[in-house]
Amino acid sequence: MSFTAPLALLALLLIPLLIAAVWWRQKRPRRDVVRFPAASTLQSIVASEPRWPRYIAPALLGLAILALTLSFAKPERTVTVADRQASVMLVTDASGSMAATDVEPSRLEAVRTAANDFLEKVPEDLRVGAMSFAQTPLATTRPTTDRDAVRDLVDDTIANGGTGTGDALEVAIRAVRPKGEKDKDKPAAIVLLSDGRTTSGKNPAIVAQKAKQLRVPVYTVSLGTPEGTVPGNGAPFPVPPDPETMKRVAQVSGGKFYNVTDSSRLSEIYTRLGRQIGSHEEQRDMSVVFAAAGLLALLAALALAARRSPALP
Amino acid sequence: MTQQGVAPPAGRQGPGPLPRPLLQALDLRLARRSASPLPGEHRSPGVGQGTELTQLRPYEVGDDVRQLDAAATARTGEPHVRLHVPERALTTWIIVDVSPSMAFGTADRLKADVAHGVGLAVAQLAVRRGGRLAMLSFGADKPRLLPPSGGRGAVARVRRALDEGVAVDPEEPRAPDRTVLSRALTRIGKMAKASGLVVLITDFRDEDDWQRPLRRLSLHHSTVAVEVTDPRERELPAVGRLAVVDPETGRVVEVDTNRPGLRYKFAAAEADRRAALADDLRRAGVQHIELSTAGEWLRDLGRGLR
Repeated sequence: MSFTAPLALLALLLIPLLIAAVWWRQKRPRRDVVRFPAASTLQSIVASEPRWPRYIAPALLGLAILALTLSFAKPERTVTVADRQASVMLVTDASGSMAATDVEPSRLEAVRTAANDFLEKVPEDLRVGAMSFAQTPLATTRPTTDRDAVRDLVDDTIANGGTGTGDALEVAIRAVRPKGEKDKDKPAAIVLLSDGRTTSGKNPAIVAQKAKQLRVPVYTVSLGTPEGTVPGNGAPFPVPPDPETMKRVAQVSGGKFYNVTDSSRLSEIYTRLGRQIGSHEEQRDMSVVFAAAGLLALLAALALAARRSPALP
Repeated sequence: MTQQGVAPPAGRQGPGPLPRPLLQALDLRLARRSASPLPGEHRSPGVGQGTELTQLRPYEVGDDVRQLDAAATARTGEPHVRLHVPERALTTWIIVDVSPSMAFGTADRLKADVAHGVGLAVAQLAVRRGGRLAMLSFGADKPRLLPPSGGRGAVARVRRALDEGVAVDPEEPRAPDRTVLSRALTRIGKMAKASGLVVLITDFRDEDDWQRPLRRLSLHHSTVAVEVTDPRERELPAVGRLAVVDPETGRVVEVDTNRPGLRYKFAAAEADRRAALADDLRRAGVQHIELSTAGEWLRDLGRGLR
């Protein structure tokens, strides 16, 4: 919570003044007293009763001052607002290297779990699409609020073939920003997961320029350890990831880059992206709430004061 | 000689008229009370000094030969002795409360006025038939003693002392001294050697540990305790929030008298206190007379002494 006009908080100094006033009122020598020989009997009765009820009214008044002062200071609350019509593409590498088991249980399996976590976390009205690619883009689901279609695609992905990251990225950009659509203000993002060097097609770093132009940030995840291998013809075939390219893509397009070597970290990152993408933070004015609370407290204090018996003389 | 720290209380009404016929009736009652215990119930010094015959009886060994009655002995042929009602000058001790709580009254007069009146009435009766009168006032800064003396001068001195009023309220809140009554009673107990009449006039407020000295006093003296009360001390009226100050201690208590619970508790606490007081006085063997500031206190005094 933050305040737009924090200077108004100076009025909180009224509260110590109020406390001092209550204290002084109890201390000051009374003029309006009535002599009464049985006062000691009264004293013992009063002493046997709880003292706190007499502090309710001042406490309510203090509360009212507090709440009203806070409302003058224009308090703001940070809220996460889901973007309407935002769309996200989950672009997942499905090349042969995804079968490597350096990430438990395998790279592809870890991505499936993480993608499902992602789908759990994203706001409901966020349109999510998915795509898998090898040398060329394979299956594609256009951004939709139908989570099952995306889930099916993610679950059906099979690791086979080379890596055409650049081409896939281009198709994904088209999917979130269809040709002819002029509105570049609609939020869109791409989560690109790849585990290796681009072996065919366009250079992803150049495609990232286009993403930048269309204002589509690409969050890139480089998955796998340098020691990752897949069974080859006889000898294991090394499939190291290519974090440099991925980092560049993220930098150019305005997204973020994550280097991941184990599955729990991957889930964590997907979950975080699921929360971030498709929503943004907004400052909401809370003055009304505080003003209402202050008024209520003030009314309660007034009601108590009115109920209190008049003093004699 | 005026006493420091006392002043006529604000709103003093005076005790009201003391009609002679009423006083006369009271006289007989007081005299009966004070005379009856002396001959038989208590061994009194100087037995047989008097003028009134109680009986003539045959001489027994050990009787004072000076009491032999010549005429009766001659008539019967047997030695007879003549016994008298012992008649002595009766000393009356008035112990009167002049503490600030006595300067309170919401009905016809102040409690101090009633105490004043009782003191005056008792004083006027006490000096008849050669009686002697003493007074001790307590509750002011210093207790004040008027030693036993007789005649109209004694009444005048008592009247002057009572006219000075009661102790003024403390300026600052202070701890109450709850032993003044007990000290006054102890002091009278030491001073009054011969049996007499002790009249204690007080409201029994904010006092502790007076029961034992009072009991000791009542063993040797015919003792009357006059409790002076005000109707407002029994129950609170519903008059809204009230800051009341204890005249004895100067402490302020704030109460909301519109709360029935508080009024009920107050009335119950006061009723308990008075019941305990009556119980204490009965156990001390002291006659308890209750006088209110409302109504005719002198009639009530006479009725109580009956």
